[in-house]
Amino acid sequence: MIALASAALLLPLASFALLAALPQLRRGGLVAGVVSSAFALVSLTCATLLLLDVAAQPGMETGVAPVLWVRDWLPHAGTSLARLGVRVDGVSAGMTFIVSLVASAVQVYSLGYMAHEGKPSIGRYFAWQSLFLFAMLSLVLAPDLLQAFAGWELVGLCSYLLIGFYYQKPSAAKAAVKAFWVTKFADMGLLAGLVLMRWKLGTWEWDGIEPGPYVAAVALLIFVGAMGKSAQFPLHVWLPDAMEGPTPVSALLHAATMVAAGVYLIVRAFPIFEAAGPALQVLAYVGSLTAFIAACTAVVQDDIKKVLAYSTCSQLGYMVAGLGAGSAMAGYFHLTTHAFFKALLFLAAGAAIHAVHSNSIKDMGGLLRRLPGGAVLFITGALALMGIPGFSGFFSKDLILEVLEEEHLWVPFALCLASAGLTAFYMGRVIFVAYLGKPAHDTGKLHTPWVMAAPMAVLAVLAIFAGLLGPTVAGLVGGEYHFALSPAGIAALVFAFGGLGVAWFLYGGAPRTTFDFLAPVGAFIRSGPMDKLYETGWRSGLLVVAAAAGWWDRYIVDGLMNLTGWAVMEGGQRARRLQTGKAPDYVLVVVVALIVLAAWGLFSTGATAGVVGGAP
Amino acid sequence: MNPPLAAWLLMAAALFCTGVYGLLTRRNTIAILLSVELMANAVNVNLVAFSRFLGDLAGQVFTLFAVSLTVAEVVVGLAIVVLLYRSRSDIQADRADQLRG
Repeated sequence: MIALASAALLLPLASFALLAALPQLRRGGLVAGVVSSAFALVSLTCATLLLLDVAAQPGMETGVAPVLWVRDWLPHAGTSLARLGVRVDGVSAGMTFIVSLVASAVQVYSLGYMAHEGKPSIGRYFAWQSLFLFAMLSLVLAPDLLQAFAGWELVGLCSYLLIGFYYQKPSAAKAAVKAFWVTKFADMGLLAGLVLMRWKLGTWEWDGIEPGPYVAAVALLIFVGAMGKSAQFPLHVWLPDAMEGPTPVSALLHAATMVAAGVYLIVRAFPIFEAAGPALQVLAYVGSLTAFIAACTAVVQDDIKKVLAYSTCSQLGYMVAGLGAGSAMAGYFHLTTHAFFKALLFLAAGAAIHAVHSNSIKDMGGLLRRLPGGAVLFITGALALMGIPGFSGFFSKDLILEVLEEEHLWVPFALCLASAGLTAFYMGRVIFVAYLGKPAHDTGKLHTPWVMAAPMAVLAVLAIFAGLLGPTVAGLVGGEYHFALSPAGIAALVFAFGGLGVAWFLYGGAPRTTFDFLAPVGAFIRSGPMDKLYETGWRSGLLVVAAAAGWWDRYIVDGLMNLTGWAVMEGGQRARRLQTGKAPDYVLVVVVALIVLAAWGLFSTGATAGVVGGAP
Repeated sequence: MNPPLAAWLLMAAALFCTGVYGLLTRRNTIAILLSVELMANAVNVNLVAFSRFLGDLAGQVFTLFAVSLTVAEVVVGLAIVVLLYRSRSDIQADRADQLRG
């Protein structure tokens, strides 16, 4: 079991090392991609066997007795700073499978999608893809928080590198830096949480945390890190910009796996969050608010990738809300299904972009006829995302609403319910405009290479049927799950069909002007109010502080330094006049001093007189 | 006739003050050296006077050493004056200020 996990972890690293060490291979173009994909597929095989192995273990079902292979890191006085290695249990085995599956699918897909790039660029791309897979798996399989943090930062680096893949494009370079800064800012919270945990709780282990005075603070600081990585409001601003990267990257990093790392971290560290008590509810509020705001924003986007990006944001909000209701199962289940259908959606959108050479849904149109395969795959993913019964998203989204209802978290429940309607609306809008609507200009047939179609087909099967895996997922997380249609689920269905109906009403046929009075609101949302808010905050807050600090440094600190220097120089200039070089002047000084000393000796008494005037 | 100790001391003090006056007022280097000699000899007079009145010969022996040391000092001083004259053709003390800061 450990061997399988280690193989799944180390194979991508080997692939990265090969591509990094052999320039001929790296610059070989698609050869590099084939090597990287082959390693990823073997890694996927190992991960699959590992998952089957774990699922067959009787003890694993209840989430006890994880299998560990660890080595002490920095041992000192009988203890050690941290443990490095792999930890295999239900949660990590399941995530390993999801990550390696989506990564393999994306890498194979990229063989087609990236084929027209320059050869060195392709090699660079696949080297980073391999590095990402290794980093993500080292985070997933981490035996304690420190290794998870190392993997966490490494996936952040890969995200930066892959967003900035088209680094010649200024917007892509900017987006990469923005993603890096925002997530690093959040990681400061995570780092503070780690330090506090080690300091006050004395451990970096995932479990065995007892409720105590510092647990809530540690949990919330870890959550701050997760907010950055999983794009929770108000730190979500980097995710839409991250769409500057190649579409397969968006599918893998910014939809299915890396952004889910925050959710995974919370699931993994759930004992800490459970011990934190009421602080857990913060997650429910932040998550549902994110779900709602991102869904509102997705409604007004014309760029198909932006729609999906805000949708990802929104669905991550759902996961966090589910976790906030105290159900690790709800968050993890939605993470699983979302990974499949959102990766599928991105890859299918990528196929459309690849064929039409535009991101705008207004340039697409009629894709159901022009690109039937891609259209069917996209609509499959969209139906799963909307939560249409039978598709995977229905089960997991329903579970989240159910647990929110059970915990009587009514505000998050209402926000998530509204988001369900908005989700159906914006996905319906994309389908009606891009896939069913009239083509803008070109009406020719389009083509998707089979290397791109095959991975999508695999993901589509999972996007449809992953919902039936509920009991299995529950077993992996260590809980129970029986599907039952609750009132919350029925309400979600009503909202979903309502949203879809409104979308059909507005975009299904001839354009309607019923809601044109909302246009200013849409324009306001499209203008990026959060980005502007950050910019204003930056200018008025940080820059003012910087200016004040600069003034203090320039005039007070430097001023004191300069004053000291000036005083010494000026004093020296004046003192040099004392040294006239003339012997008579010195003699005069000597004589005057003698007279003064003699007078002092004559007129003073006691010990002082003794020194100058003779023995006392 | 034997003058008292105070007379000798007054005479030596007058001699010393004359030397100090010359040291401060004279600009000619040789005159300054002469003034220094006056001051040194005033001290010698004191030593001899105390030796005589206290009946301790050590003072007079001390004076002999002081005289010979003064001679050596004058030799060095005059040598400096000669070199000063050779290099600058001027032995006015207040114009020799090349060591000015």
